[in-house]
Amino acid sequence: MDSTPGTPRWNLERPLLTGRFYQEIKAPTHTTGSKPFSMDSFSRGTDNVIGSYPVSVQELLVIDDLLSALVGIEGRYISIKRVRGKEGHVIFQIDPSMDLALQELTRRIFPLCEDFVLISQFVESKSHFKNGLVNHAFAAALRALLLDYQAMVAQLEHQFCLGRLSVQGLWFYCQPMMGSLHALSIVVEKATSNNFSGSAMLNLLQSQAKAMAGDNAVRSLLEKMTQCASTAYLGMLERWVYEGVIDDPYGEFFIAENKSLLKESLTQDYNAKYWQQRYSLKEGIPSFLTSVAGTILTTGKYLNVMRECGHNVQVPLSENSKLTSFGSNHHYLECIKAAYDFASSELLNLIKDKYDLIGKLRSLKRYLLLDQGDFLVHFIDIARDELAKRPEDISVEKLQSLLDLALRSTAAASDPCHEDLTCCVERASLLKRLTTLKDLECAYPPHLNKPIPDSDDQPEPLSITGLETFCLNYKVQWPLSLVISRKALTKYQLIFRFLFHCRHVNRQLCVAWQVHEGFRAFNTLGTPILRSSILCRSMLKFINSLLHYLTFEVLEPNWHLMHDRLGTAKSIDEVIQFHDYFLQKCLKECLLLLPQLLKKVEKLKSICLHYAAAIQLLIPSIYVLKPGAAAGSLGLDRSKPRRSQSRSQQLKLAAENSKICDSIMKFEKEFNAELQSLVPILSNSSQAEPYLTHLAQCILGVGSEQ
Amino acid sequence: MPREIITIQVGQCGNQIGMEFWKQLCLEHGIGKDGLLEDFATQGGDRKDVFFYQADDQHYIPRALLMDLEPRVINGIQNSEYRNLYNHENIFVSEHGGGAGNNWASGYHQGEQVVDDIMDMIDREADGSDSLEGFVLCHSIAGGTGSGMGSYLLETLNERYSKKLVQTYSVFPNQMETSDVVVQPYNSLLTLKRLTLNADCVVVLDNTALNRIAVERLHLTNPTFAQTNSLVSTVMSASTTTLRYPGYMNNDLVGLLASLIPTPRCHFLMTGYTPLTVERQVNMIRKTTVLDVMRRLLQTKNIMVSSYARTKEASQAKYISILNIIQGDVDPTQVHESLQRIRERKLVNFIEWGPASIQVALSRKSPYVQTTHRVSGLMLANHTSIRHLFSKCLGQYEKLRKKQAFLDNYRKFPMFADNDLSEFDESREIIESLVDEYKACESPDYIKWGMEGQGDASVAAALESKLVV
Repeated sequence: MDSTPGTPRWNLERPLLTGRFYQEIKAPTHTTGSKPFSMDSFSRGTDNVIGSYPVSVQELLVIDDLLSALVGIEGRYISIKRVRGKEGHVIFQIDPSMDLALQELTRRIFPLCEDFVLISQFVESKSHFKNGLVNHAFAAALRALLLDYQAMVAQLEHQFCLGRLSVQGLWFYCQPMMGSLHALSIVVEKATSNNFSGSAMLNLLQSQAKAMAGDNAVRSLLEKMTQCASTAYLGMLERWVYEGVIDDPYGEFFIAENKSLLKESLTQDYNAKYWQQRYSLKEGIPSFLTSVAGTILTTGKYLNVMRECGHNVQVPLSENSKLTSFGSNHHYLECIKAAYDFASSELLNLIKDKYDLIGKLRSLKRYLLLDQGDFLVHFIDIARDELAKRPEDISVEKLQSLLDLALRSTAAASDPCHEDLTCCVERASLLKRLTTLKDLECAYPPHLNKPIPDSDDQPEPLSITGLETFCLNYKVQWPLSLVISRKALTKYQLIFRFLFHCRHVNRQLCVAWQVHEGFRAFNTLGTPILRSSILCRSMLKFINSLLHYLTFEVLEPNWHLMHDRLGTAKSIDEVIQFHDYFLQKCLKECLLLLPQLLKKVEKLKSICLHYAAAIQLLIPSIYVLKPGAAAGSLGLDRSKPRRSQSRSQQLKLAAENSKICDSIMKFEKEFNAELQSLVPILSNSSQAEPYLTHLAQCILGVGSEQ
Repeated sequence: MPREIITIQVGQCGNQIGMEFWKQLCLEHGIGKDGLLEDFATQGGDRKDVFFYQADDQHYIPRALLMDLEPRVINGIQNSEYRNLYNHENIFVSEHGGGAGNNWASGYHQGEQVVDDIMDMIDREADGSDSLEGFVLCHSIAGGTGSGMGSYLLETLNERYSKKLVQTYSVFPNQMETSDVVVQPYNSLLTLKRLTLNADCVVVLDNTALNRIAVERLHLTNPTFAQTNSLVSTVMSASTTTLRYPGYMNNDLVGLLASLIPTPRCHFLMTGYTPLTVERQVNMIRKTTVLDVMRRLLQTKNIMVSSYARTKEASQAKYISILNIIQGDVDPTQVHESLQRIRERKLVNFIEWGPASIQVALSRKSPYVQTTHRVSGLMLANHTSIRHLFSKCLGQYEKLRKKQAFLDNYRKFPMFADNDLSEFDESREIIESLVDEYKACESPDYIKWGMEGQGDASVAAALESKLVV
């Protein structure tokens, strides 16, 4: 890591001070000498071959040398040789001329010396900053152990000075240390060769302790080492699960923070990954934490969210919540669980109570799902002219001010959230928008994607207006943006656009209906008016049923369900999951994921719109012609007085009427054909998607037989 | 303040039911008797502005016009505890205060004479609203003022506000008993003509049925006017509930009506309400579910129109459209099931010439009115059996007319001067054709109905060929 402080130069340059001389000094000697060992050892101030002394003297000499060798210093008759290829490994060798029995005994002690050298080198090298806290802690623990060892050597030397130490005695006294240092040296060797640090180091120690389960002393030593080594790591873990802070200067912790993901992206980016990837698990989770890694990650994540909200929340600490060890009593697991419970309930309460998630969702439902549609009625009333323009020509500012006006003057005024509502005008039609989104949306089951043709062969309707592309936007603040992310909001918007357009069609048909109402004064039986009003009724029925289905059979029950589930949710992740599920289900049941069906519905809607527009032009033209006839038709019988009317007027009227009748029948035929073509589609897909049966019942309902 | 609705109450009956209606609205919106918002009425989400506006001192004033030709009822209102609720400028009482003497012609004529005063008031109210949606007229069709002046008003409104909706709540007279108003058939017939031609929607409140419901359903031996009127106000407030407590749909009057009325003339709606309670009456608490409410709404005994009788002809009767407004604590998942159940049991007989099914609007309940039942429902239905009501009116009219009885009272007025009774004939024509049209609705060939009778054979042939395709 860049931020790691460097090891001071004196540490590297003065090997004698730090024990690095084992490698540093010897290396040049060997390379320059490049002589066989025996020559070398002879040249090192040994005046006499040891073999020339009596055995008792040899023993004294070798003990003296051994005491040096035990702390890694060459003696007169014991020499150190580096092992090629193995970093830091040394071999102790003894003057071959020594008494064989003595040689044998001495050689037995050499492994201890070698282990000592290995370990002390490890301690030195791993104490460098860059090796991380776990290594530091482990090295420190080893150093403490080595101090004991050195004390033992000093005591032995004292005994030697008193003349009470024999080689056998030395061998005897070294016994306890031999096992320990050997076990440690194995660990150290593995650690060095793999350059382990952090959790890998901990894993190594733990597995080694397990592997040595048979040797009680060694196992407890290794466990103690593990514990010492993990202290720093547990400190990090503690800060994370209790405070949500990553205090990890050397990159050892198993949770990574991606600082480039900003929480603001949630409200802007459709594909924001903040929640998923801001904090993530890295490779190399300590084995004792693998089972709870996910919990640990979310605990800290929750704490972090709260901190981002400006709440300095800390898990209340008590005596036994301190993470001291991860021994077999699993105390640490309980602590983590407790911290998780605390963090998740705290965050949930924060989001539910302080930030009023349910309230926001309710107001989203009110505005984007048209739960209280009165503001929309007023808005369409006052923004009709603006919305009828092409999307490029619409002034969003004007719409916004009209929207504000509509919100202020309807029931929405009492809702404090209405100020978060803004409007926007998109460029693409709903169908097009859906296809573009589906490419991004990987959560969609692939089979739903199949029937969608390329966006190329979906020509944009030429007459696309603001009515097709108008959309509401909702300002969502952190931390609610966790739940109501851009993606979720986009889904709301898709539903809104669909509903909005349905409402628009409904309104247009209502206008058409009102035009018919002007004909109360005339007996409409047998006239195009009757035909037209019945068609108008069918269309109204269709659009009302569609709206009924969308609202009362999809949105409302699903919302109800989600609302109940949110009440029982235990963590924010559950909340997010329930909310996403709700949206996905609504999108699907609102037909927005069934392009084939959606296109049919859009077609039907456009027929309705064309009809509504046409009828407003056609009917007045009947009106102009009719008064005379109308007065007649008010007469006694519905057919007789007409016959008595002047033939020419009758003909003219009839011709005009038949023209109108033709166009009305054209609409009727087209509409009925489209509606009927829905039947097979609905019945085919209703096996896979049961909710379509509801739709079929709504739209086609009674009287679909005809 | 969009989509406002102005209520006009005319005549004794109109003012009485209007009064009850406003009482109910005040109760539901937490508005006190003096028009001030009650302290507890803090929960928003309702639309008071559809029916009320706020005066400078913040008190709510009903968009209501009170009109009568005799002062008794209006004086009663002005002396009641609600006297400060109404805008006093909106109260019109004829100067001479003589009433219309149960004479349609008198009411009509008097209306004609004070048209400027009345239209001034209406214009002022209309100007005071941002985008007026329409008018609601409360009246009875039997008396003199409500029927005569009401008729005149309907014609005038239609002329002056041709783009606005006109909905009426029309009380039909009790046809079971001999009425104290002997000329009731004349009045009814003449008013019905205006209701047919000049209203967009008529909610029929049948006194016969209201009495029956009060006796049979509420176990009142001698229902008072106040009690039947409270039934009416319940219906009126419930039918406007989607406007006042906006939901997903039916947030404007036009949307509400358009879905119910198929052809311009078939705009007579009957209502049903359940569970019914009368003020101050301790009612049994029963379990109310959506299905339960919907089933009850379809039962004859809960429907507030008596023509829905078990006659031979009535069995042919069909629903043209139904809108159920369900109020209260509803589990939305029940709606689909309930509709499904009703469909399976074939509880509803729908017309065959077009798509039809029960529409449901879920609406919130006023938080300020405590009721013992969780769910209540109102049915607005367009049913062909309503024609029997009109037939009955026609029958009674014919009887009187044959005897030439009581016509003198009418001849005193310009419309019938010089023994010109063509107005009667014309009205009869129209009612007959209305009955015919409703009857035609029962046949599956309604769309084609009357086409073959059309004058020009070639056109008919052309149409026929189109139909074959």
